[in-house]
Amino acid sequence: MKSRFWKERIFPVVFMVAVTVVFISVVSGIYLSTRDMVKLNESLFLKRAVLYAADITVPGKGAAVDKVYRSRVRERLDSEGLVNHFEILEDNEISGYAVFAGGPGLWGKIEAVIGFTEMRDKLTGVEFIKQNETPGLGARIAEEWFKEQFRGKMGPFVLVPEGTAQAEKEVNAITGATRTSNFVLEIINQSLEDIKEGEWPKLR
Amino acid sequence: MAKAKVKKVFLDSLGKQNPVFAQVLGICSTLAVTNVLKNTLVMTMGVVFVTALSNFTVSLMRKVIPSRVRMMVETLIIASYVIIVEIALKAFVPDIWRQLGPYVGLIITNCIIMGRAEAFALSNPAGISLVDGLASGIGYAYVLLIIAFFRELMGSGTIWGYQVMGSWWTNWSIMVMPPGAFFMLAVFIWIVKGLLLTHEEKKS
Repeated sequence: MKSRFWKERIFPVVFMVAVTVVFISVVSGIYLSTRDMVKLNESLFLKRAVLYAADITVPGKGAAVDKVYRSRVRERLDSEGLVNHFEILEDNEISGYAVFAGGPGLWGKIEAVIGFTEMRDKLTGVEFIKQNETPGLGARIAEEWFKEQFRGKMGPFVLVPEGTAQAEKEVNAITGATRTSNFVLEIINQSLEDIKEGEWPKLR
Repeated sequence: MAKAKVKKVFLDSLGKQNPVFAQVLGICSTLAVTNVLKNTLVMTMGVVFVTALSNFTVSLMRKVIPSRVRMMVETLIIASYVIIVEIALKAFVPDIWRQLGPYVGLIITNCIIMGRAEAFALSNPAGISLVDGLASGIGYAYVLLIIAFFRELMGSGTIWGYQVMGSWWTNWSIMVMPPGAFFMLAVFIWIVKGLLLTHEEKKS
């Protein structure tokens, strides 16, 4: 009787706990051994994004990105010690700024780094750092042709069907991803308004 | 004898017992990831890895797993392997990991993996279970890659991100969206089952 109780009630629980501990330890070990690499990837990704938004040619290799970033970008922190905005330097003089901007997307939040000139009269670039839009449709906002549409221009922008943009304020929407295009435009136009009013755009 | 069994298990998963077109399993990921070839390849490689190793591990432990907690143990094993895949992608190919987003985590819920663990690994030795898992994964992978090839070609006019269709081609946006996957999968099943069935009929 006792052995049946052990076999059917206690052993499965003990077994489950033991197996869980073993597997979680293995996964944790792998996580810890790659943690530095993942952190490095993330910081490199952000540095590339800031340089791209500031219209500074991004070198291919990691160490080179770091070098350019250190000489051309100064991080400005807020009272909590987080990056509030980036100052873009040219010969140690501020030539522009880059800020975080964000808002809702179709499936999740869209976050971007937006760069603009020191006079706050033109965008120097836009780079998306977080988006979960539909691959092949909305995710095409990450394609070069879409991002390049904003460089050197000033909004507020308006959407036109893909391939028909001509005027400065016109932006080609992505066919099949009108809602994503709208969300992106909203984020950028709202940021431009903030910038014009002398505020830093926020992640909404 | 053993060789013949290995061959049969392997070929069955690719053909007659194919998880996608014969058993119609793992359809949610078929719909979700097959609009771009690159994402599909990474996702299916992940599935091959997880199916093979989880089958192998479940089979090794099959004699000690209490039947009451059988499925919990299987889920734990599968989840551990999927997290390892995710960590590896994050550390070594962060760009692809960013594009795949939540889909990698969703491999855990792919019914092919649990299905093979339950139907095969629990009642067969480790070696042949590994072959079965590998073959099921490959059977899943090649079907998805064929579907992705046509969806990307027709939906975006590209193959592996490179433009192959000329300017005369109008992209079929529906091919990039989930309904396009339904159409492609149905056509694929129709053709393959038609071929396989006539073959079987001739044999009998």
